[in-house]
Amino acid sequence: MSPKKKKAPRAAPAGTVAPAQGTPAAPTPAPLSGDPILRTVSRAAFALVMIFALLLLWRGHNAPGGGFIAGLMTACALILHRIATGESALRVDPARLIPWGAALSFVTGLVPYVLGRPFLKSDYGYLTTALTGEFEWATAMLFDIGVFGVVVGSTMLIAAALTDVRPTERVEGDE
Amino acid sequence: MTLAVLFPFVMAAVCALLGSRLGRFTGYVAAAGFLPALALALPLAAQPGAVPLSETARWVPDLGLNLVFRGDGFSLLFAVLIGVIGTLATLYSVAYLSPREKFSRFYPYLLAFGGSMLGLVLSDNLVALFGFWEMTSVTSFLLIGLWHTRSAARDGAVKAFLISALGGLGLLAAAALLSIAGGSTNLSQLDVSAVRESPLFVPALLCTLLAALTKSAQLPFHIWLPTAMEAPTPISAFLHSATMVKAGVVLVAKFGLIFAASPLWSGLLVPLGLLTMAWGSWLALRQTDLKALLAYSTVSQLGLLMSLYGLADEGGRFAATAHLLNHAAFKAALFFVVGIIDHETGTREIPYLQNLRRKLPVTFVIALVASLSMAGIPPLGGFVSKELFYENMLHAGPAFIAVAVIGSALTFAYCARLMSIFFAHRLGLTPTQRELRHEAVKDDVHEAPPSLTLPAGLLAGAALLFGLWPHVAEVLTRKAQTALGFGGLDTHLSLWHGVTPALLLTGLTWLLGGLLVWQARPFAELQSRLAPRWNANTVYYSLIQGLNTLSSRLIARTQGLALPDQMRISLLAAGLMGGYAVWRSPQVFHGIGSVPLGIVPVAVLLVGGAVGVLRSNNRLTAVIVTGLTGFGSAAAFLALRAPDLALTQLLVEAVTVILFLLAFRYLPGVRDLPRTRGRLLLDGGLALAAGVGVTLLVLSSLRFLAPPISPWYLVNSYAGGGGKNAVNVLLVDFRGFDTLGEALVVAMVALAVSSLVRLGKPGRPRTPAHGVTPEGAPILTPKAPTVSARSDASSEPAPPVKEASHES
Repeated sequence: MSPKKKKAPRAAPAGTVAPAQGTPAAPTPAPLSGDPILRTVSRAAFALVMIFALLLLWRGHNAPGGGFIAGLMTACALILHRIATGESALRVDPARLIPWGAALSFVTGLVPYVLGRPFLKSDYGYLTTALTGEFEWATAMLFDIGVFGVVVGSTMLIAAALTDVRPTERVEGDE
Repeated sequence: MTLAVLFPFVMAAVCALLGSRLGRFTGYVAAAGFLPALALALPLAAQPGAVPLSETARWVPDLGLNLVFRGDGFSLLFAVLIGVIGTLATLYSVAYLSPREKFSRFYPYLLAFGGSMLGLVLSDNLVALFGFWEMTSVTSFLLIGLWHTRSAARDGAVKAFLISALGGLGLLAAAALLSIAGGSTNLSQLDVSAVRESPLFVPALLCTLLAALTKSAQLPFHIWLPTAMEAPTPISAFLHSATMVKAGVVLVAKFGLIFAASPLWSGLLVPLGLLTMAWGSWLALRQTDLKALLAYSTVSQLGLLMSLYGLADEGGRFAATAHLLNHAAFKAALFFVVGIIDHETGTREIPYLQNLRRKLPVTFVIALVASLSMAGIPPLGGFVSKELFYENMLHAGPAFIAVAVIGSALTFAYCARLMSIFFAHRLGLTPTQRELRHEAVKDDVHEAPPSLTLPAGLLAGAALLFGLWPHVAEVLTRKAQTALGFGGLDTHLSLWHGVTPALLLTGLTWLLGGLLVWQARPFAELQSRLAPRWNANTVYYSLIQGLNTLSSRLIARTQGLALPDQMRISLLAAGLMGGYAVWRSPQVFHGIGSVPLGIVPVAVLLVGGAVGVLRSNNRLTAVIVTGLTGFGSAAAFLALRAPDLALTQLLVEAVTVILFLLAFRYLPGVRDLPRTRGRLLLDGGLALAAGVGVTLLVLSSLRFLAPPISPWYLVNSYAGGGGKNAVNVLLVDFRGFDTLGEALVVAMVALAVSSLVRLGKPGRPRTPAHGVTPEGAPILTPKAPTVSARSDASSEPAPPVKEASHES
């Protein structure tokens, strides 16, 4: 069925598996990456990228940023984390993020509609607290978080589908 | 009324959430969804005479679209009917369904259907009418296909959906034509005389008829209803006998007030309805499955209703409305009875069943009452309305009378056949059939619990009441008199009219029917000898087969190419488009002066990247150099002072490169791109043509036809959306709907990619023996990207996507 059935004569050795990959036989949970430098760096990088992604999401209303961008950046961070450590930093199934994100965006739009204003009309206001100073809230933020969820879920779903390799699978090997 | 329509949808959501927890008791929650519809009985009681209720709910006010509900006597009558049968079917299903049924699906579908159907009958707005019409098709599809593991259920669902979707398109066209001709999208505000004089009158009439005939399973579209019987029996009783299939009849009744001016209306509807009536009962007599028999009988009865409404005179509408009520009562009761028989004996095959009246006495009485009403025998409701049917057909002509009598005699015969299971009769089975019967029929058959017999009994009681006390039926029928315009009629429903021509025809019907029952066996032989080799069903299947063959051939020709070839075609098209733009408006270069100088180095970078891709001789280099163009575009956005776009482009590019690397495993090797000189020139030329073409296209569209709206966004984004970033305010607020749609597109692409990749996975076994990853828990091992990046070889060029598209 599959066009790239393994070719027996090629005798692709188990060594197709790159050295950095750990033991090929062990199924879940995925083994740790063999590269300590990548692992160490990625941990810090992951945190930094995530913080920046959340910042982008947060400030999107007033400065460059927004749900879409933040979602892509988070996806990058998650993929990095997964490649480096072999573990998913995402505790939920990415396919589940998609409907929840879409539902959040949709419901955010529905609320003003039910209240008699145009669909997706956002509302905003200013709060002043001693701690934060003037602080703007906007319902558009919720909408953006929904978009964020959809984007993270979609990207991670594609990435997961593309990388879903069984440890015993022989990938067509080079010499 | 708005509440009555919307409440079932709300309860559908509730049931979907509670379904897995409450199990079968979800049914009681679901039944509550019909309470507001039942409450419509109060305004109904004031009809006729009272001003029709009217409610308007905003929908898309900007487009002038509103949900307008109009509760005239007829609509309210039908809405209450939906409420009653819906409640009974829901309660019946609680006892009927197996405890393992997926209740969190069944009841939401059922309620969503109920809401759509209520919306359909109450809606005054043509667009909303169309929407609800389609929603009934969709929910009916879901309900027929509820047991989707059975291929018959899938086939039935698809067939029903295709045919009613065809009608839905007809209705959409009719709604558009009517609102153009009549100057309003609201049915009650249409300018009827303008419609009648408009040249669009006849097309609108034909489109309406297409919609009504497909939905109500009239010839030659009757084939979907019998296969729709794969749905659970409560569904068949609710959708496919009492309510949804009558949507077409309702349409004919309501629109008939407009279209009746044309002789075409009656000229098509009456013969088609009568033929359907006769042909449906002819086929019903041939069935061995009880439910199939009832399905064809429904087809036949709907034909009767169609022909009566098609007469387009007062008497016809009066008789049809009366029969509509009668039919809803006795047919739903009979479906419930068949459900009980199926439930208690394990089979629905008439030849396997006999003598059931001893074991199922209560069911027997209900079935007797209901089928006597269907056969048109006094003192039941069916007799009263059947008399009226004859009376109205008397004006239509001898040929029509003959068809009507034959249809009714066949109806009589199949009612008798239906009842035969309760009596001793010769089964006449072959030994194999006897074996099958032994397996199918349960050993200890006993009476069904009251939760099953009570809904059926209530409906049969109504059928009896309508006969014994026709005044009740008349009062109900008269509720619709203002809406359907038969207020001036002084006919009354009664059991005894005196010896009239109609009574004589009834006597003739009984005589013929009795003859058919007496000579049942020879007649069955005659029927099977007369069966034609082809029928509407074979036409349908060969049509579907032909379409399948055609589309797979078309796909193989156009979509089966290797990815590079497809890309070449797309690029060529892009180039041609640009050429066309230049040809149409040669002065395209006037916008070029405003380009800032800072973009020049970026452009050099971009061009360099493109050339680099062309020159690279292996895939890895190509991907990386492609990345160069991507990041170059980001730089271009920065140079043009669009930081949001630049940021987005950067990230998209990063993710693209990552996904590209991940996808390497599916590509035929990294090492070399076998490319001859000619191929190189061809690709380079194509790329150049596409690039130049798109540039020209963009430039040619830069001529502003109207003042640009971007200043408006800049001014209003802070005041209206409360944000300083105009781009983002645009995205989440002003054009939020677009963003929502785009987010959904992203989600759909992700789902499509994920399923395609799963289908065409290299070396992925189809058997679960090799440990297919559990759904939704893909293992992302760290090895994957690194391995794939260095994988090579495998000379088969076919991309997995191609493979996948072939087999679906």
